[in-house]
Amino acid sequence: MPAKPKATAKAANPEPKATPPDAPPVTVGERSKQRYYQTNPVERRFEEVGFPGLTPAEKKTYTHARLILPVANRQVSLSNKTDREYWKQVTKEGLPCRRLKNNYNWGTDKHGRDISTYRIDELKKRSLSQAKLTALNVLHQQFLLKREAARSKGAKLPQEDIDQEKQRRQEMAVLKRELYGEIPGPLANDPEWDDVIPIPQEESQDALARIAYPDDYAEAVSYLRAVMASEEYSPRCLRLTERVIAMNPGHYTVWLYRFKIVSALKLSITDEIQWLNDVALDHLKNYQIWHHRQLLLDHHYANTLSSDAEAAKQFAKSETDFISKILSKDTKNYHVWSYRQYLITKLDYWSPFELATTQSMIEDDLRNNSAWSHRFFIVFSDPSISTKGSASTEHDPKVPDAIIDREIAYAQEKIKLAPQNQSSWLYLRGVLAKGGRGLDTVGEFASQFFSNLGAEDEEVTSSHALDLMSEVYHKQGDIEKAKLCLKELSEKWDPVREGYWKYRLSELK
Amino acid sequence: MAASVEQQQQQQAGPAAPGAQQGASIPSLFMFPPMIRDALETDSSNVQDDTVDEVLPFLTGKEHSQLNAHGIPRLDKERHVRFVKKQLGVLPSMYVGADPSRPWIFYWCLNALSLLGEDLEPYRARLIETVRPIQNKTGGFGGGFGQSSHLATTYAIVLSLALVGGDEAFEVVDRRSMWKWLCQLKQEDGGFQMAVGGEEDVRGAYCASVVISLLNLPLDLSSDSPAYAAGHTSLLSGLGEWVRLCQTYEGGVSANHGVEAHGAYAFCALGCLSIIDSPHRSIRRYMDVPRLISWLSSRQYAPEGGFSGRTNKLVDGCYSHWVGGCWPLIEASLSGPEGPTAGPAGRPLEDTDVDDSLFSRNGLIRYILCCCQDMSKRGGMRDKPSKYSDAYHTCYVLSGLSSAQNKWRLVASRADETLLGDDLWEVLPHTKGEQIFDEDDRIGTIHPVYAIPQHRVDAIRSYFSSKEGF
Repeated sequence: MPAKPKATAKAANPEPKATPPDAPPVTVGERSKQRYYQTNPVERRFEEVGFPGLTPAEKKTYTHARLILPVANRQVSLSNKTDREYWKQVTKEGLPCRRLKNNYNWGTDKHGRDISTYRIDELKKRSLSQAKLTALNVLHQQFLLKREAARSKGAKLPQEDIDQEKQRRQEMAVLKRELYGEIPGPLANDPEWDDVIPIPQEESQDALARIAYPDDYAEAVSYLRAVMASEEYSPRCLRLTERVIAMNPGHYTVWLYRFKIVSALKLSITDEIQWLNDVALDHLKNYQIWHHRQLLLDHHYANTLSSDAEAAKQFAKSETDFISKILSKDTKNYHVWSYRQYLITKLDYWSPFELATTQSMIEDDLRNNSAWSHRFFIVFSDPSISTKGSASTEHDPKVPDAIIDREIAYAQEKIKLAPQNQSSWLYLRGVLAKGGRGLDTVGEFASQFFSNLGAEDEEVTSSHALDLMSEVYHKQGDIEKAKLCLKELSEKWDPVREGYWKYRLSELK
Repeated sequence: MAASVEQQQQQQAGPAAPGAQQGASIPSLFMFPPMIRDALETDSSNVQDDTVDEVLPFLTGKEHSQLNAHGIPRLDKERHVRFVKKQLGVLPSMYVGADPSRPWIFYWCLNALSLLGEDLEPYRARLIETVRPIQNKTGGFGGGFGQSSHLATTYAIVLSLALVGGDEAFEVVDRRSMWKWLCQLKQEDGGFQMAVGGEEDVRGAYCASVVISLLNLPLDLSSDSPAYAAGHTSLLSGLGEWVRLCQTYEGGVSANHGVEAHGAYAFCALGCLSIIDSPHRSIRRYMDVPRLISWLSSRQYAPEGGFSGRTNKLVDGCYSHWVGGCWPLIEASLSGPEGPTAGPAGRPLEDTDVDDSLFSRNGLIRYILCCCQDMSKRGGMRDKPSKYSDAYHTCYVLSGLSSAQNKWRLVASRADETLLGDDLWEVLPHTKGEQIFDEDDRIGTIHPVYAIPQHRVDAIRSYFSSKEGF
């Protein structure tokens, strides 16, 4: 048998007099409700039975209680005498002249939870935290005043005070987070940054591709904007850049700013390079690092290395060592190779050592085209044997024949190991162009990579050889053979480039 | 008609039938590893082999449930549009790395939406409000509020503003300070730095040329420019010569002098040259064209069909644009101005239906539609199947698809050499040879130099062409 609903039982009971005492409230909301009823007599009965359901005494109390408010709130003005009489009557009837409103709004906490659903002890705890925060804030304000006073006298606060303040801000941060979910960043907590007013990014809600920045990052870049705007170059700014870089190494602005700080403070370039090495190892694909390094190199060169050949050599050595370390992890890193070339040009480091390390990288992976490109650079851009400003695809008469011969032999040796490797063929062509030698000078060499062209048993071990030979035959006047090479490439050996081979065919005359 | 296409799909490549792929006609070129392979294994050949293994199931249809008669899945526009729109919304905190390059996201997404036929009108006001605080008083736009101006982000924002169009968008740009800033970036050797104190590379040459020509900025160099002291008097003087020295022994183009040839820099070089003069003059003047074409052509691999960015590196969907986008400029440099397309009664321009393209359009289309689409709930386009889609790849894969599906022609060269980028171009659907994609999947077009739709280029240019000085 189902239990009788409580409400029905209550409604059936017309006897209103003995209201059962309230059970002690569990939540803050319940307590508010109870207090509301305590300060609003008959209100609960009114809600239950309505005005007609009240006893005459209740009706009187209810009505009189309602009449108090306009007078208490001075909405109705009474003469002095009437006023006295009025309050006498109120006191006699024991009517409440202050009444709590219903549905008091306690607000919500950081999780969006309504505080009225807090248990009483929870609210107590929260209030205690609020009181603590207020007390800490008083001390914090005192600190600020004290520091201001000290500053105006040109003095500094004792370290002890600053340490206490740091401690205090940490405590405040914990309380703020606990109470309001506010996360005052580490910079706002650091008295060192108090004089900087951060410049936050304010964007409308519907800005395009709006990034939900992590709080720490948003705070750090807000301070960054402020110190950049005021053109401050100081140790704390250097630390700030490090902080931002750790969170976002692709932030080019912070790198450019960091370089300005390093040069303004005349910091040790080798220390900066040392620091940079660790960052580079952590972020292999980042390239701001390498431009920063290039700026450091320029700076170091202008101030020191240009007048100290030995130091320059040392620096080049340590740099190439580090570059090699990075390249061993990422063998085709474009920006690292690019920096390496810049370094060599800047420091005139056209050493046999450089050629040897590149060679060993080629030998590790014959298809590492970056290493081949670097070899071409160190051989043909060396100012002692080349013409400045000579384009890469044009003949440079200044390059000695012996070097051309050596490089041809090197390329050919590597082609034999892997005839379909385009890197070594492109290198061979590049060397021939630099040397002003025709492709026909390697015709015999290239011919070994195919046989029986056009026949049933045609064999080709290098499409690049066929490509080259079509040009050789053409030059030799054997148009038919040149066409045959291109036709076989187009139809059989490299058909994805059919359009190109056909274009080449159309160019043959 | 749509129904008949579907029926055809059902018959020829129904999702359930095992071995349905055999019904589709896929050239063996795209089904098997290349004919010539060296025995010697190195790191590069190993990752290349892995890549071929990775893409073959996508190329042969095993990874797809719906294929057309050519073994190609549809372009899932809806899915990709959804992905792109999401990128323009609120991005989670892991995107903090994109903070310095956020303007790129505007361009990538808006351009992708435009290629997919979406209306950009709803983004105009939002874009304008978003980019305003990114402009610096000293000229140019940075990556975000309070960041130093950078040519890449400035390029991206100018193109984005051109994409949404309208006077209010164009007026966001402060042309005077932009000009001053560009003068600061111009270097003694003729090239451009990307930012004051930043790196000098061929991106700078391209981005600066685009910005100068779209905004119709004066070319005179301010006397406080680093280049002025070296004898330069114009923003563009010595630029062609500077770009020329970026061509490498391989025939391709490097970031700056002496580095390795790279597909993205090839596009920047050709784009820059096609702005400073008409391509048949400037590309021929500053580039070794036969070597360049040979190198560009070598970027296309089989069986993948896509382009790689460097010799012996892997295919990546983004080079569909960086390398694929070079072809119209190369073709224009070879043919020169071709005059207007003849009407029905006029001289037939196409005397044959044979595809005379310099690259395999169908190979590229195959790679893009089979390998670069993320068909999961995520959507978007990607580098290759093992990579996640992103806004960058979505933009450039679609741009590459567009250049493979459509044919640009240089109609008339600029009347006056000083009218930067004033050549007349025309685009038509490419119809020669076999069409392997469904006609519904033909996407919009972008100008071969400016990489936004032609009418958007015309609108911003005509807005600023009336301005002399500032």
